[in-house]
Amino acid sequence: MTPSGRKPRHLTTARVGLYGFLLISALFFLAPLYVMLVTSLKSMPEIRLGNILSLPQHPNFDAWFSAWSSACTGLNCNGIRVGFWNSVRILVPSVIVSIGVGAVTGYCLSFWRPRGAGVLFAMLLIAAFIPYQVFIYPLVRIFSTAGLNNSLAGIVIVHAIFGLPTMTLLFRNHFATLPIELFKAARVDGAGFWRIFWQIMLPMAVPILVVAVILQVTGIWNDFILGLVFAGRDNLPMTVQLNNVVNSTMGERTYNVDMAATLLTALVPLVVYFGSGRWFVRGIAAGAVKG
Amino acid sequence: MPMAGIRKQRIGSRIPAQLALLPAVLVALVVYVGATTWTVWISMTSSRMLPNSVFVGLRQYESLAENDRWSASVSNIVLFGVLFLAAALIVGFVLAVLIDQQVRAESLLRSVFLYPFSMSFIVTGLAWRWLLDPTLGIEKLLHDIGFAGAHFDWMVRPERVIYTLVLAAVWHASGLVMAIMLAGLRGVDPEIWKAAKIDGLPVWRTYISVIMPMLTGSFATAGVLLATSVVRLYDLVVAMSNGGPGISSEVPAKFVMDHLFERGNVGMATAAATSMLVTVAAVIAPWLYWQNHRKGAAT
Amino acid sequence: MIRSTTAGLCLSALLLAAPQARAQQKAEVMHWWTSAGESAAVRVFADQFNKAGGQWVDMAIAGGANARTAAINAMVGGTPPTASQFNTGKQFDDLVENNLLVNLDSVEKQQNWAKIMPPAIIDAVTRDGHAYAVPVNIHGQNWLFTSNAALAKAGAAMPTNFTDIFVALDKLKAAGVVPLAFSGQKTWERGLFNTVLAGQGGGDMFVSFWGKRDVAMVKGPAFRAVADTFRKLHGYIDAGAPGRNWNDATALVIQGKAGMQVMGDWAKGEFSAAGQTPDKDYGCTVLGAASPAYLMGGDVFVFPKQKDAAQTKTQMLLASVLLDPATQIAFAQKKGSIPVRLDLDTSSLDACARKASAWLANPKTQVPANELLSPPALTGAIEDLVSQFWNDPSMTTDTFIARVSSTLAQTF
Repeated sequence: MTPSGRKPRHLTTARVGLYGFLLISALFFLAPLYVMLVTSLKSMPEIRLGNILSLPQHPNFDAWFSAWSSACTGLNCNGIRVGFWNSVRILVPSVIVSIGVGAVTGYCLSFWRPRGAGVLFAMLLIAAFIPYQVFIYPLVRIFSTAGLNNSLAGIVIVHAIFGLPTMTLLFRNHFATLPIELFKAARVDGAGFWRIFWQIMLPMAVPILVVAVILQVTGIWNDFILGLVFAGRDNLPMTVQLNNVVNSTMGERTYNVDMAATLLTALVPLVVYFGSGRWFVRGIAAGAVKG
Repeated sequence: MPMAGIRKQRIGSRIPAQLALLPAVLVALVVYVGATTWTVWISMTSSRMLPNSVFVGLRQYESLAENDRWSASVSNIVLFGVLFLAAALIVGFVLAVLIDQQVRAESLLRSVFLYPFSMSFIVTGLAWRWLLDPTLGIEKLLHDIGFAGAHFDWMVRPERVIYTLVLAAVWHASGLVMAIMLAGLRGVDPEIWKAAKIDGLPVWRTYISVIMPMLTGSFATAGVLLATSVVRLYDLVVAMSNGGPGISSEVPAKFVMDHLFERGNVGMATAAATSMLVTVAAVIAPWLYWQNHRKGAAT
Repeated sequence: MIRSTTAGLCLSALLLAAPQARAQQKAEVMHWWTSAGESAAVRVFADQFNKAGGQWVDMAIAGGANARTAAINAMVGGTPPTASQFNTGKQFDDLVENNLLVNLDSVEKQQNWAKIMPPAIIDAVTRDGHAYAVPVNIHGQNWLFTSNAALAKAGAAMPTNFTDIFVALDKLKAAGVVPLAFSGQKTWERGLFNTVLAGQGGGDMFVSFWGKRDVAMVKGPAFRAVADTFRKLHGYIDAGAPGRNWNDATALVIQGKAGMQVMGDWAKGEFSAAGQTPDKDYGCTVLGAASPAYLMGGDVFVFPKQKDAAQTKTQMLLASVLLDPATQIAFAQKKGSIPVRLDLDTSSLDACARKASAWLANPKTQVPANELLSPPALTGAIEDLVSQFWNDPSMTTDTFIARVSSTLAQTF
């Protein structure tokens, strides 16, 4: 496993400097996580004292259990686990559909370039910059005539719609870096639109696929307002309960439960990130593109 | 990318491409063009909490132009955007390069840098606010360990609070930039490294003169992704400073959101959103035009 | 009591007349009460409704703006909830204008609101002579909470108006305690401003500002004095105030690290959670000139029009349950607010609530909160100006008055 062709060195000054820099960076990145963890293990009286960096005096996981299964989220006090499977049921199809449509569109725009491709790309790119909340009201009206409101299909379509600009951008940019000879050769061999996509282009897009999965899993799993408006009461994602635990305007705040709930919610994307690691290594083999 | 040759293919082969593009076209037309047109129309009405059809011309835009909070939002987002883009791209690239040096525990380090991206800002923003609060966080820590005169109260100073937002945003997004750069780095041909070594180039020089130009695609992708998150910046501001102290850290997306929902002023909100749209289009359209007319561009 | 007997008769009639309809008396209720204390309070409503033959289906969404957004989009999208929470005031104006709400005149007559509720509250839910929302509580927005321990340490007395408050604040400062625990978010900056406006300027000036939008008054000396007092208070907060959550400011008072806090009566929840009792550990009062100027805010429920006629019956049932005397008292105990009906025996409520009930018996102390007087758009615009004035020392009182005047003159 020598991706860049250089052999691992012994412990030189440069190596020590490298590890030192990485360690300091890691500390910076870990600081908020530390605060969140220690706060989640404290009791509220201890948190009120305001020593955010101190270790808990009597660490306990009460806040974690409460966040998962007994925190109040309205009339019901069943924690955030209520919405877990809803979130999963929304996540899987939404990620697949949004990445799928984005990949095909990006592939189409970079190699096939039908008429109007440039205009379409420009529209999608500009659309990516608009705060999507502005589109909620018109979408609600459109969906209501189509009967899609308050349904799983509705929320999946909404995620696909709002993911389209960034996904298309990702894949189009990636495909644009691949040499055109590859494509031409496949066409000469008689391969059609879909054959080239499945057998040649997609395998070469593994690294960018990983990035796309990271983006979409994070965005869709952590989405709140779209799930609230479009998914319907029976499909409310976990983020709605998370919001209810954390965001009371006039109620008491239980910071330990808030931190625990946030950390629990983040576990799913984190597992995906961790699992994606081996694809970064694998991507090398697919990424070697000398024609 | 020379494409002229492809167009001369048989007519029949273009149909799958156009069919495959159909969902995107539909979405673009119905949703984006349709909803945007509606947004522009509503910005010329007196809509409050629900949209209405009472035409008032450009009155909302006049109010917007006189609105202190809107002007503060616009200048804030420009400053934030420039700093954040530069910092996140540099930090992300450097982290990717360092991790690429075959360090031990690479997986662990990658996760350490990437995990911030997985969490929504509602609570991570609070953690940052506590850390930067002079009475609770770093300044208090410095005082406790003996540096009595130390100050790190940017969070509560109107002229400095924007930098704390940049800090938290870089913390959040550098991991993603690192991931994109790593994907690009791992795609670099090992032959290039061997050639550079034979030429006697030092490692850092190789990165800057040889590898970086090859990563223009990754930089562009990361850059555009970061740019979209700059324009849409909302959660972070609400969680950390809520636009304060006063209006010193207000941003356009928060202006739109607040007026759309809490303040029941849909007319003003859509006027602000349209202004953002026009500005973005004014920047992107020339760039795309220039891109389309370059021959042999890598992007 | 006559009202509950009538209600009881109505309920029995409903139950007897259509036993199978009981299963259909499902009410999807949207609200934003999600913390532990608020959950206990809404449970009172749910239990009473269920006892009366209904079935409460809870749809809680934290954050008032989030909940209202979800409710409005649901109404617009064709799947309206049975009932939805709003704040007492002008938040639901557009819904009435767009003919989306059910008319509640029958409930108003049946329960004789005019006899039992403050007139300002009834006005706030009436449009064109018809009632469109059921008020369920009164929240006081401008309480002053004090730490007994901190006041004792500083040798300061409990303030009663905006002159002797500065005596107390100075003593607290001298004793090394944070004089005024403050949460520097726009809502609470406006809250403090409103407290000074009502407490020093008086209820009439308050209504004249937010309701009548009297620019001449704003340019006069009395308002200028209010602005100056407001600015003066800035000198008594600590460095960590900007951005702080109100609960954290209350925590300072709870621990005696700060002397006082200006906040609504929902802050009592934090004190109770920390095991403190009013008058014993913390003090509560409302400042005013001659008598306290009590800013009455609160919550209401609106009832969106449904496609199904049977649902309207459910809505009326829910509406009557909400105002039932026993329900009102039980809710107030858990919520920290006071009942919206002023004809009840409040001896079972906490000390601060009992004080409020006593004051509100005198109509002069009843001051409608700014939500009842001004639309959210105007409130927001003034809020931005107040926040600027509070946080930016370079903004002079003259500039502030000029900007406020021009904003009040705009159409919203």
